[in-house]
Amino acid sequence: MLSRSILLALLIVLRTSEVAAQTSYDQIVHAAENPDNWATYSGDYSGRRYSELKQIDTNNVSRLAPAWAFQTQTSGKFETTPLVIDGIMYFTGLDDHAYAVDARTGRAIWRYERELPTRIPACCGHVNRGFATLGNKLFMAALDAHVVALDSKTGNVLWDEQAADYKLGYTFTLAPLVVKDKVIVGVSGGEYGIRGFIDAYDAETGKRLWRFNTVPGPHEAGNDSWTSDSWKRGGAPAWLTGTFDPELNLVYWSTGNPSPSDDPSVRRGDNLYTNCVLALDADTGKLRWYFQFTPADVHDWDATEIPMLLDLKVNDKPRKLLAHINRNGFYYLLDRTDGTFMFAKPFGRVTWAKEIQSDGRPLLLPVATADEKGKVVCPGAAGATNWMSPSYSPQTGLLYVVAREQCDLFTAIPQPFHPGHPYLGSVYFKPAEEKPWGALRALDPMTGEMKWEFKYISAPWAGALSTAGGLVFSGDMEGYFIAFNAATGKDLWHFETGFPVYDSPMTYMVGGKQYVVIASGSTLFSFALIN
Amino acid sequence: MLSGLAKRNSFFAAGQQTNNPLAGDPKAIQEGASQFRIDCALCHGLDAHGGNRGPNLTRGIWAHGGTDADLFRTISVGIPGTLMPANDLSEAETWEIIAYLRSLTPEKPKDTGGEPTIGEKLFFGDANCSLCHMVHGKGGRLGPDLSSIGNRRSPEFLTQKLREPNASLSPTLMDSGKEWPYDAQAVTVVTQDGQRIQGMIRNEDSFTIQLMDLGENLHSYIKSELRSIIHEEKSLMPPYGKDVLDEAQLRDIVAYLDQLRGESARGKD
Repeated sequence: MLSRSILLALLIVLRTSEVAAQTSYDQIVHAAENPDNWATYSGDYSGRRYSELKQIDTNNVSRLAPAWAFQTQTSGKFETTPLVIDGIMYFTGLDDHAYAVDARTGRAIWRYERELPTRIPACCGHVNRGFATLGNKLFMAALDAHVVALDSKTGNVLWDEQAADYKLGYTFTLAPLVVKDKVIVGVSGGEYGIRGFIDAYDAETGKRLWRFNTVPGPHEAGNDSWTSDSWKRGGAPAWLTGTFDPELNLVYWSTGNPSPSDDPSVRRGDNLYTNCVLALDADTGKLRWYFQFTPADVHDWDATEIPMLLDLKVNDKPRKLLAHINRNGFYYLLDRTDGTFMFAKPFGRVTWAKEIQSDGRPLLLPVATADEKGKVVCPGAAGATNWMSPSYSPQTGLLYVVAREQCDLFTAIPQPFHPGHPYLGSVYFKPAEEKPWGALRALDPMTGEMKWEFKYISAPWAGALSTAGGLVFSGDMEGYFIAFNAATGKDLWHFETGFPVYDSPMTYMVGGKQYVVIASGSTLFSFALIN
Repeated sequence: MLSGLAKRNSFFAAGQQTNNPLAGDPKAIQEGASQFRIDCALCHGLDAHGGNRGPNLTRGIWAHGGTDADLFRTISVGIPGTLMPANDLSEAETWEIIAYLRSLTPEKPKDTGGEPTIGEKLFFGDANCSLCHMVHGKGGRLGPDLSSIGNRRSPEFLTQKLREPNASLSPTLMDSGKEWPYDAQAVTVVTQDGQRIQGMIRNEDSFTIQLMDLGENLHSYIKSELRSIIHEEKSLMPPYGKDVLDEAQLRDIVAYLDQLRGESARGKD
C-alpha cells in the first residue's frame, strides 16, 4: 500500500501536470488573441470565423492529411463546431450526443448521450451545432427544449433546465453563447407555430435571468404588426448563435420566419420581430434596436444567419459595423451601434425584389406574392445562404459567403393550426427546370462587390473558415473538404470525406501543430500537415 | 394548447377504424388538403394528379387496395419495395387525407386503356426501348433500368417523358432538401489528345466525372486532366412522336411500364 505521504505527493504531481482546461469570460472576450483554442461557436465574439493560425498556408496546404477521425456512430447531418480548450476538444453530435476527445489523437475522454423523447416535432433532423463553455462547464441547448450544463472534465450533468415544451414544437439546435456569467440561447420551431424567444440563464445555477419574446405580446411595441391573435403562433425562432460587442454591451441575435411560413393571409403586417437582427442589452435582454430584413415573409427566409461584427473604416473613420449575409439573397451592412442601414446588394440570384430601398425595406416585384398554384422565386426556401457560417479575413479584407443558387416553386393555401404540428401554409418545391448549384464567393464588405467565386455543381450546406495562412476552407455536397487561396479563390487542396458536408470548419493548435476540422456523415475529421 | 393536441391525437385512440369516420366532413377535407400538400404533394403533385414519382390519386385506381382500411394502411406504413414511405401521422390526420382524396376521386375508376403485353413487344421490338433500357436483366445499360419503374414514376410522367424527353416535365416537383438525380444527363468529354467521348453521367463533382459511353464502357476522369467537358442540353433519349408511336401504342407501352413493379427476373417471388 502506498503511504499517505506518497499518495499526497503523487496527487500533487498529477495536479501540477494536468491541463487547465477551463475558460474565463476574459479569455472568451480575447479569444481571437489565443488562436490555439477555439472558444465559441464562431471562434470569438465577432462571428468572423477567422483564425490567426498560419502554420498551414498556401504554400504547404497540399501536404494536409487526416491526423485522426472520430466516428460517432450516428448518421445524418453532422453540423457541429467543436470547441478546443487547452488541447481537449468538446463537440456535440446528432441526437444530442456529446464527446470530449484528446485534440491531438481523437481518443475519447468521455461521452454524453442525452435520452431524448421518441417523438420530437423538429423540422430538420436531430441536429446540434455545438457547445458553449465557461469555467469548467459546457453548455448544450438540447432538442427537447432543455438547456443543460455538463462538467467539462466528466460529461456529468450539473444542471438541466426546461425552457419550453418540445411537444408544442419548441426545440433547440444551436450552440449557446456565453456572455459574462450568462448562457444565451435561441429557440427553434418556426415550422410549428411557436412564439419565439431568446433566453439567458445563470451559468452557475441554470436559473433563467431574462427572456426576450421575439414576437411581441399585447401592449408591447410591434404587436400591431400582427393580425388579431396570430402573434401567439407567429414563429420568429432564433436558432443560430448570436454575437456580442463587449464595448457596447450588446448581444446581436438574428431571428427567423413568421409562422405559417408560406401563407400571410392569417398574419397581415410586417410581423415583428421575424427575420430581424436584434440588438439586446446583455444584462437585461431589453431591445436596444432592431432591423428587419424581410417583412411579411412568405418564402421561409429565416434571417437567422450569423450577425458578423466588423470594425472597418468608413470615410477614413473607424466604424462599428454589422455584416449580414441574408437568406433572402442580399448582403446587408448596418451600423451596429444603432442599427442604421448602410446598404444592401445581392450576392446571389434575386427575383423577388428590385432592390433594398434607402430605408432598408425591399422594393417587391409581383412574383414575391405567393398563391395557391405557386410561383417560382429565387432564391428558394433554403435561401441564397442558410445556417452555414460566413467568414471574414482581416488579412485579405474579404467576406467569404456560401451561396446557394436554387429557386423554388412557392405555393400558399390556408392551413388550420394544431399545436405541435407543422404549420406552414402549404409547401415549396424545387422545379425541375434547373439543377441547383452554388458557389463560395468572396465579397468586398464595403461594397458587396464580388471579388472571386468558386462554383459548386450542387447547392452547398458547408460554412467557411478563413485563416492567417491565407486560406479559406469549406466543403461541398459531393463530400469534398476544400482549401482555397483566400486572395484568389484558387482551389489548392481537397479531400473526399465520403458524405455531403453539412458543417462549418474550425481550427486549433496543440503541441505546436495546427489542425483543421470538418464533420461529415458520422465522422469528425481533424487534418494536419504531414512531412 | 397541450390539451388541444392531446385531444386531437386521442380522438381515435379507441382502435383503428375500418371505415373513415371523417368521410365527407367538409372540415376534414379542408384539413386533409393542407396535410396532403405537406406530406404527399412532393410525389403525387400539388392537386394529387400525379407527380414525378407518385401516381395520380384522382382516378379511383388504387394499386394497393382501395378500401378505407387499405388507404389507411398504405399511408401509415407505406408500401415496401416502392417509394411510398411510412408516414408519422396521427390517425385523425390520416383519415383527413383519405377524406380529401375521396373528395377528388370518381365513383367508378376511369379506364386508362393500354395493353401491357402489346407494350412489352413494342418495348423489346419496334420501339427499340430495350437498346438503352433494361427490364429484368434484358436490354441495354445506358438508360435507367426500368424493372420497377411503375413504382417510381406515374403514367402521366411516363407518357410525357416518351413524347417530349427534353420538355420541362410538369408537374415535376423535387424535394428542396435532396440532391439532384443524375439519371438522364448526357455529356461529352474531350481528352487532352482531342478524343471525344459521349455518354451518360454516372456521377460528377467539382474535381471528377464518371460516365458510361455509348458502347456501355465506364470511364472516370479527373477534370483537370481533360481539355473540356460539354454538358449536353438534350437527353440522349429520342422523342417518341406520333409518327413513331401512335396514341394506342403509347398507351400500350405506358401500360407495360406501369405494371413493372420490381419483381425479379425469375418472376414474382
